[in-house]
Amino acid sequence: MESTESNGNGISHPYNSLIKMRGIWKTYQMGNEQLHALREVSFDVRRGEYLAIIGPSGSGKSTLMNLIGCLDTPTKGEYWINGEQVAKMSDDELARIRNKEIGFVFQTFNLLARATALHNVELPLIYAGIGSGERHDRAVDALSSVELGDRITHRPNELSGGQRQRVAIARALVNQPSILLADEPTGALDTHTSAEIMNLFEKLHADGNTIIVVTHEAEVAERAHRIITIRDGEIEKDEKIK
Amino acid sequence: MASIPSFSLLWESFRLAAGSLRSNKLRTLLTLLGIIVGVTAVIAVVTIINGLDSTVADAFSAQGSTAFSVSKRPLVITSREDFIKFNKRKDVTESDAAAIDRLCDSCWRVGTAINGSSLVKFGDSRAENVSVRGLSLEMFAIENVTIQSGRLWTEQEGNSGRNVCVIGTDLIENLFEGRSPSRILGQEIRVDGVPYTVLAIAEPFGKVLGFSRDNFVYIPFESGQRMFGARDSITVHVQVIDSNVFETAKDEVRMIMRNRRKKTFADKDDGFSVESQDAFIGIYQNATSGIYFATIGVAVISLVVGGIVVMNIMLVSVTERTKEIGLRKAVGARQTDILLQFLIESVTVTMVGGAIGVFTGYGLAYLLSFVMGFPLLISASSALLGVTVSFIVGIASGSYPAWRASKLSPIDAMRNE
Ligand SMILES: Nc1ncnc2c1ncn2[C@@H]1O[C@H](COP(=O)(O)OP(=O)(O)O)[C@@H](O)[C@H]1O
Ligand SMILES: [Mg+2]
Repeated sequence: MESTESNGNGISHPYNSLIKMRGIWKTYQMGNEQLHALREVSFDVRRGEYLAIIGPSGSGKSTLMNLIGCLDTPTKGEYWINGEQVAKMSDDELARIRNKEIGFVFQTFNLLARATALHNVELPLIYAGIGSGERHDRAVDALSSVELGDRITHRPNELSGGQRQRVAIARALVNQPSILLADEPTGALDTHTSAEIMNLFEKLHADGNTIIVVTHEAEVAERAHRIITIRDGEIEKDEKIK
Repeated sequence: MASIPSFSLLWESFRLAAGSLRSNKLRTLLTLLGIIVGVTAVIAVVTIINGLDSTVADAFSAQGSTAFSVSKRPLVITSREDFIKFNKRKDVTESDAAAIDRLCDSCWRVGTAINGSSLVKFGDSRAENVSVRGLSLEMFAIENVTIQSGRLWTEQEGNSGRNVCVIGTDLIENLFEGRSPSRILGQEIRVDGVPYTVLAIAEPFGKVLGFSRDNFVYIPFESGQRMFGARDSITVHVQVIDSNVFETAKDEVRMIMRNRRKKTFADKDDGFSVESQDAFIGIYQNATSGIYFATIGVAVISLVVGGIVVMNIMLVSVTERTKEIGLRKAVGARQTDILLQFLIESVTVTMVGGAIGVFTGYGLAYLLSFVMGFPLLISASSALLGVTVSFIVGIASGSYPAWRASKLSPIDAMRNE
């Protein structure tokens, strides 16, 4: 079953794929010029994988990540998540995918400044329509799993950078998504705190989560089991390292 | 599908709204101002006019519409042309009154009155602008004047035009420094310089809209004619026994009077004015409906201005919170969720303004009712009106900003710095 892993461009059997991208283009119109942020990108991600996407600045990593996370739509190409064709989805369906299938961790945390850690983590559950009792319990559990069970009433400005990113990770995980997406999650953190966050990702992967991390730091990428390198919007390399 | 927003979501939106109201108090106050003014105006005027209506209804229903008057000029003259026209009319005289009394079958009581006002003195104390009326004895029955202490003049005293009078209770204070009735009756006061003996004190009528109706001296009609007769026409007052012959009696009187003035069908002007309380109520209703419309104008303008302010503040709020909107969308908020969030925020703002407006409106009405002396009638419907209006303003002014927010793409919104 695992045998398809080895083929050169990382395309596995379609029915095993959590994510399947085929011929994805993202083109920005800049005045008269066209800027191709992604060109003809195709790859698959299977459930339980730990994937790093690396590449120089401006190579299209974030653009790709936003497409995977359904925050943006491709100019051309096809994309399935969990067997569902994303390109054909209505706005409400995309919102549901973002809510239920995807947990996004941003470089700059993106927490609500006025809300407590607990309330920040509850946010996806509010939009999932989950009642307050269950919501509270699940948010507390998620915060405990990132070792912030004793900080639930703190606001972002009362937390360190690493703690804030852990709140963001708890928020990403609280609705039990299919994939955890992290775009430069350690970009705003010092080395020590970065290591802490990467350890957490390793633990989450061990618990069975599918993880995709965008980074330009080699140490971060090395923790993954597979690395996709992109350059000028194209996949340059796709290799399994563990 | 969960297209119906959950309670949690509504609560979340409400919390957000309350939070953003609290976080910028000055802005909130400015935002609220237009709504507060608009709702205050509506509530105050509705409450005040309710109070006035009940006072006026009370004051007039005491006599009901069984009485009317015949006079040379109507009570209210609105133009100079009319004034000149009415002045050219013949005076209404005692013989007119006698004719009505003789010829009108539907009339029950016929009284005569001659009205003026003058300075009244007692010793060193003086009361200015006291209403002085010369009344025939029938007038006491027609106008329901009752005697509190003392006695009314007799028919004979009346006919011979004695210098006797009945005073209103205001004069007890204004002229006699509050002394007891026994020390007032029999005293001599000077009305326009002429001495009159106080025979009686009338039961008070009370106030209407802050105006006392007890600041008077009533003297016999014959004495009144002596005082004012050379200068003015008299008024004939007619009362019918039952209000269902009221119109018949008016028609009869009109016929009698027109005959006496030799008016033909071709003459448009009667040559006299027949008026009843309906006329006063009409005047009152005209005045209050004027106030109503003016207030509606003020209220509409301040609500529109308030709504525009709310809309602008909401647009600022959407811009300020672009990143937050993006984040909410990134974690699963649908367009309708964001739309609802901002609508709830604007409705919260306007409803808070409306609630404050309801209270300040009642406060204003209370103050005025206190000053002007009418009852404060707080109606739940006016509060409901205020709240409904502010709800509608909230929806109207929040729609566009909320729509803009809901249409933001999550990625563009989050990129915003
Ligand atoms: N909204 C946009 N409009 C125009 N160009 C964009 C936009 N977003 C990204 N780009 C361009 O696309 C390219 C890829 O950007 P990005 O995906 O952010 O790179 P990375 O995350 O790898 O640094 C860059 O050249 C960038 O300038
Ligand atoms: Mg990037």
